[in-house]
Amino acid sequence: MSETLTLTDVEATICTVSHLIEEDKLYFVQMAGTPLMALLLAKRMRVPEVGYVVEEGAVAPNPSFPLPRMMLGASRSHYRAVCWTGMNMVDAHAALGYMDYGLLAALQVDKYGNFNSTFIGGTYENPERRFGGPGGANEIASQCWRTLIMTKQQKRKFVERVDFRTSPGYLDGSPGARERAGLPPDTGPYLIITDQALFDFDEKTHQMRLKGVLPWTTVEEVLSKMDFEPLIADKLEEVAPPTQQELDIIRAEIDPGGFSTSKGEWFTIDAATGRKVG
Amino acid sequence: MEVLASGRGEFRMPDLDAFRAHVREHKERRLVSKVMTEQEAVSRFVSDGDYLSYDQNVAVRGPGSLFREIIRQRKKDLWVAAKFSWTDVSLLVAGGCVSKVDVGWMETGPVINKALREGRIKFIEWSNGALTYRHLAGALGVPFLPMRYLAGTDTFEESGAKLIKDPYTGQTLCLVPALNPDVAVIHAHQCDVYGNTRVFGAGVAPVEIAMAAKKLIISTEEIIENEAIRRQPQRTTIPYYFVDAVVVAPFGGYPGSVPGLYGADIEHWLEFAGSQFQGKTDEYLEKWVFSVASHEEMLEQRVGAKKLLQLRKAETVREGYYE
Repeated sequence: MSETLTLTDVEATICTVSHLIEEDKLYFVQMAGTPLMALLLAKRMRVPEVGYVVEEGAVAPNPSFPLPRMMLGASRSHYRAVCWTGMNMVDAHAALGYMDYGLLAALQVDKYGNFNSTFIGGTYENPERRFGGPGGANEIASQCWRTLIMTKQQKRKFVERVDFRTSPGYLDGSPGARERAGLPPDTGPYLIITDQALFDFDEKTHQMRLKGVLPWTTVEEVLSKMDFEPLIADKLEEVAPPTQQELDIIRAEIDPGGFSTSKGEWFTIDAATGRKVG
Repeated sequence: MEVLASGRGEFRMPDLDAFRAHVREHKERRLVSKVMTEQEAVSRFVSDGDYLSYDQNVAVRGPGSLFREIIRQRKKDLWVAAKFSWTDVSLLVAGGCVSKVDVGWMETGPVINKALREGRIKFIEWSNGALTYRHLAGALGVPFLPMRYLAGTDTFEESGAKLIKDPYTGQTLCLVPALNPDVAVIHAHQCDVYGNTRVFGAGVAPVEIAMAAKKLIISTEEIIENEAIRRQPQRTTIPYYFVDAVVVAPFGGYPGSVPGLYGADIEHWLEFAGSQFQGKTDEYLEKWVFSVASHEEMLEQRVGAKKLLQLRKAETVREGYYE
């Protein structure tokens, strides 16, 4: 019998994002949560020198693992930074164009990469469920050159129209829409990453385009978990599955206790092929 | 200056001259001790209807003991800046203290959703950065600052920001109004009796918040000598004349962590979360706030020495803060 891996959809997304992190770029990572976990996994596995800032104002830390449960407490996640400053300062670093990538999580996203983290269902005044708000997502998605957005592959998360446009994607998708609105030029969402797929955006129409699928799913399954039809790349990329070592690092060092990563849907894959088992 | 669009969110109109007049009239210029109890500080400097800002949040170096005293004194109708917060808003809403929230980010749950449904709280949308930047404008003594985000979103529509045509370049630009809170509460690592304050670590915006506020309460883990402040002036983050009250509060960040000193009490968070989901926040507040007379009494009777030692032990890093 071949070896298998059992993991959650949250862990899967973290691993996929971690494979995308480039050592010669600077990242602006939103809050403590899955985006930071993805960056830290990359840092532990492959790109130890990668530079990033967090909203509180820690610049290029070398965190002391294991991080505390629920990532509560700043001393280990800000450990051995090159600079401790504040939010206005790191936001200015992004405004000046230093941040190549913003790394964020979203509740709901539309085909132009506009995303919602404010409320779901009902109206703004009377929401069915109110959520936390943009946090730093608005400034990160507006001012970093490229934005990477993590979410779950679910029909209610990929919608024609977000319930609330908390943070900007390509707005109405028309050429120059972001610039006309008052945002810095040549910025915008770059990739959407889920537990099942990777999406990018068509350069002309700014519409979301399926770029690749994870080995445990199919194009049909991904499309069935979207409320709109994305463009599909001519040649779909194969996206590498997580490894046992990556999962071990997440569980032992990055999210001990599994506060963020153990919640979600558990599934089992063949370690070699990434195909679903059972 | 041509205004192209305006958000509909409510905000307090900046009043720079009223602020200056307040400073002239009320701020102490002399080096005098401002040490007082938490009861006195909150009763003198936090009023019903005030705009309240704080730094950092309930999870990290937050004014936990002052939050509890604000709830204990049943302050009402506060308008709070939820920049980079966590369960801060839920706690203050459960305590009946808040009527308006400027949203950057907050942990939401049953308490907030219920209060929203019942019309007891109102949100105005900003972002962590926009709120922090508004405090910067407030700290600089200017009425607004331009920036390059919020535009193009519903967040903008529900904020008090404006889009304008830049009078220099003609480009579209976003403006946000200065935020000068009536009162700010900041928890610090060290402070002298006059209010010369040291906040260690990356800390969101303690300096901007302190400077922007009309009234400022500092709670501190320890009082140090003025002589020590003067030997290392570069470590001072907030000079004395901004400060109205100094409250000595070891473990004042509890149940949050104070980097370099102690870790967060995870069990306490789970207790608060549990009380929210079971509709029992009144019992939680009775236990942790109303049934004890002070922060000191809470530490002695509810937390206990054993737990406090555990929390100290849980913080393994001093480097960068104290070394």
